[in-house]
Amino acid sequence: MTSRPGSNRISTPWPGARACALGLLFILLVIPAVSWAAPGNGDQYDLLARATQLVQEDRLDEAVDVFRKVPPPPPGEDAGIFVRSRMEAAKILLSNKDYQASAAMCHEILSLLPDNLEAKNLLSKIQAAQTPKWVRFLKDMKTYLPTLAKATVMTLLLVLITMFISPVGGLFIAMGRISRLQVLSGLFWCYIWIFRGTPLLLQLFFIYYGLPSLGITLDPFPAAVLGLGLNYSAYLAEIMRGAIESIDAGQMEAAKSLGMSYWQAMRRIIIPQTYKRLVPPVGNEFIALIKDTALVSTIAMVELMRAANQIYSATFNVFILFQAALVYLVLTSIFTVSFRKLEDRLGVYENR
Amino acid sequence: MIDLQGVLKRFGALTAVDHVDLSIEEGERIVIIGPSGSGKTTLLRMINFLETIDDGRILIDGREAGYRRDRKGRLVLEKQSVICTLRSEIGMVFQHFHLFPHMTVLQNVMEGPVTVKKQSREEARAVALDLLGKVGLLDKRDVYPAFLSGGQKQRVAIARALAMKPRLMLFDEPTSALDPELVGEVFSAIKSLAAEGMTMVIVTHQMGFAREMADRVIFMDNGKFIYEGTPSEVFSDTMDNPRVKAFMDKVL
Repeated sequence: MTSRPGSNRISTPWPGARACALGLLFILLVIPAVSWAAPGNGDQYDLLARATQLVQEDRLDEAVDVFRKVPPPPPGEDAGIFVRSRMEAAKILLSNKDYQASAAMCHEILSLLPDNLEAKNLLSKIQAAQTPKWVRFLKDMKTYLPTLAKATVMTLLLVLITMFISPVGGLFIAMGRISRLQVLSGLFWCYIWIFRGTPLLLQLFFIYYGLPSLGITLDPFPAAVLGLGLNYSAYLAEIMRGAIESIDAGQMEAAKSLGMSYWQAMRRIIIPQTYKRLVPPVGNEFIALIKDTALVSTIAMVELMRAANQIYSATFNVFILFQAALVYLVLTSIFTVSFRKLEDRLGVYENR
Repeated sequence: MIDLQGVLKRFGALTAVDHVDLSIEEGERIVIIGPSGSGKTTLLRMINFLETIDDGRILIDGREAGYRRDRKGRLVLEKQSVICTLRSEIGMVFQHFHLFPHMTVLQNVMEGPVTVKKQSREEARAVALDLLGKVGLLDKRDVYPAFLSGGQKQRVAIARALAMKPRLMLFDEPTSALDPELVGEVFSAIKSLAAEGMTMVIVTHQMGFAREMADRVIFMDNGKFIYEGTPSEVFSDTMDNPRVKAFMDKVL
């Protein structure tokens, strides 16, 4: 090999040099690249940072690719970065409506950490996003039906109790108003003035939040009943006073001429004649009452309005509000029809 | 039975009844006539305390009744229970009937005895049916007043007043709100009552009825008695009082 130096001999160092150069190049270019691409503890932070940068630049598709490059951690090591990058990717994919890929991200997390809540929640969100809105809404309506039904019963209870209290209170106040004793009449005038002249909401607030500072603390239900009762008594009192004064004065004289006392005449002759005249305006008041019970939701009473509001806040399902509206409509309709019938029945003595 | 002595009633500047004396004897039938606004109805209403007097006194069976004087010397009505008792013995029939529209005919007639006299319903019902028979409305007992004619309503009103078994009946223009053809049925009801000896005071514009019914006719004008006499005196052609004569010329 030495006796005859040939191109080979001479060229021998050249390939070696080339190899050296190539090796250098390899070291310079490829190794860093490989080592950059290869798994390593410090690199996942770089990936996350780069992806986050991309997200900030609104290059979401590229960001997802980078997020997905974050490798799963070796067993026993902290999975925080991995979970975070997969979650971010899943969220971006979900917002792009790529449900399958998004779900795949979640499953990757769950295969490593089967109890990860974040991934589970996102999975159910993906599922919800895939089902049509109206199906979801219907499901919600079914789910919350018992809650709404319970709340409706509470609303109805409030209405019925107030319907029982307020005519009694109203009659009492009306009789005071038409009294010839100025002091008594003035006192009841004041009562009506205050309760008709201030918002029901304010009265409810005063009773529930204000009275405790005067040493009277009421639960929401009694506070609601008291507020509605006092307020509606004032309204009914004015209606009743009007009805009583609309009865022909001759009726009182005829009753007196038989020897009846004022109260006997009121009880037997005057007040019974007001019933029919009272039905339309009082019916109106009671229909307003059904809707006004919604105001007691502000003093921690869970009735229809508050329940609907709570469910809406939890689901953002606008149909829950429609459902509540429907219940109110049904209630008011029943009342409207009943009062119409009652008016007809009370009018039997009229010749029309 | 009842004496009004110097009774006075003012409505603001107007003197409706001006120091009038009226004595009603047991079984007497007094008819008060006169132009509108002469104080006839006010006087009638004073008798059962529906109108209070500003001065004078009212005696029942010779004893002052219905009023007392307060510290300033003004007349004030006795307390309600006293007045109610007095009223329950005096029946009143109104021009516009004032039947209780929410009660049937029978219930209207029973109402006084049951509510005021605390009679049992059975007892009151028997009395009511008897009275409805007398005024010829037994078949209407379960009808509401709105379905009756004016004449029928007024006969029910008479029965209602009679159910209290009053000692005195007051009639305030009982036929003035009626159609002419219905006047007769109400008059005959009053006449049959008179035949039973009921004491009554009647305010009316029906001169024929006054002439036929009255023991005594009083002509009232401007709150005063202008003339008092038997029907034959008041309705005679030789009436010498110019105001009575002018009135008679107009209405007859």
